[in-house]
Amino acid sequence: MKLREVAEKLGLEFFVAAAPEAEVEGGYVSDLLSDVLAHAQPKQLWITHQRHLNVVAVAKLRELSGVVFARGIRPGPETLQRAKEEGVNLLGSKLDAFHTAGKLHRLLFP
Amino acid sequence: MRWYRADLHIHSVLSPCASLAMSPRRIVEEARRARLDLIAVCDHNAAENGKFVRKIAQDHPVVLVGMEIQTAEEVEILALFPEEGPCLSLQEELYPFLPPLPNDPEVFGDQLVVDENEEIVRAEERLLLSPLSLPLEEVVRRVREKEGLVIPAHVDRVPGGLLGVLGLFPPGEWPAVEIAPWTDVEEAQRRWPELRDRHLFRSSDAHYPEEIGRAWTELYLPSPTFSELWRAIYQGGGRIIRPGPPLKEVGWNA
Repeated sequence: MKLREVAEKLGLEFFVAAAPEAEVEGGYVSDLLSDVLAHAQPKQLWITHQRHLNVVAVAKLRELSGVVFARGIRPGPETLQRAKEEGVNLLGSKLDAFHTAGKLHRLLFP
Repeated sequence: MRWYRADLHIHSVLSPCASLAMSPRRIVEEARRARLDLIAVCDHNAAENGKFVRKIAQDHPVVLVGMEIQTAEEVEILALFPEEGPCLSLQEELYPFLPPLPNDPEVFGDQLVVDENEEIVRAEERLLLSPLSLPLEEVVRRVREKEGLVIPAHVDRVPGGLLGVLGLFPPGEWPAVEIAPWTDVEEAQRRWPELRDRHLFRSSDAHYPEEIGRAWTELYLPSPTFSELWRAIYQGGGRIIRPGPPLKEVGWNA
């Protein structure tokens, strides 16, 4: 499913819409970037609370379809700027990580 | 120059997670027992016991006053200073950024300032074992502003290690890092190639008296002091920093 459609159906807000047509094939939930580097798979949508700048680099390295900050968390201007430069999609969810991941799972694997 | 032995990450009874036996006097006794030439007292987001350890030790061993600061990202860094002045002022500056959670000693442990006569000076009421609401970059800036040394603690560990939490080194200078007490250097460098061109420290992260000196760093210096440690990191000049052998214990790695 395209990220744009996922965002619409889950009520996600785009902070950086670098490539909204990116394909989403699954999801990954983690706040540990070393864990994401080691275990996340390309085309997964990553749900996190970690708003450090390195989130952008990790999402790009793992070729993730985007990053969703849960529970209304907003990344800082530096992170937004870097995501624009690197072409990484950043989104926000008003729901907590559990409910965001639950809805994403139901949408992708009904 | 000659080789000296340093353990730059020792908790005292001011850390809720450390043993009540970790009084300044006991720390000095144990450091002497372990034949350490240089130590640093690093409590969680606090520094007040360092000056008492320094006073008791009388440069045997040389004592640095430090803190283990937990940033908003939940990364832990060691901030080291040659004496208490700048470190206490940093502690005061950081305190308002601690969440206003009271410590429950029954659950987390006591947070005590203890003087050179083993007398309790005061108990810290706010839970020190919490992340500050300041990001890593800002914490590093404030430590360096006061001319402290920044050494990210147990970088390869989860929880709290910079590489464990953030996956890679963020932009900025990271010339010196601490690896976990049990980490095998070559294995860690295979997993994290960015550890190859940095000064690696190993420390005990002692929370109990018998843990002091269980892991250490070997320093080849003219004297075991803060300024020589600084030169070893930033100038070299024949000075050498090398981690001692890993602790034979299964730890928490990323």
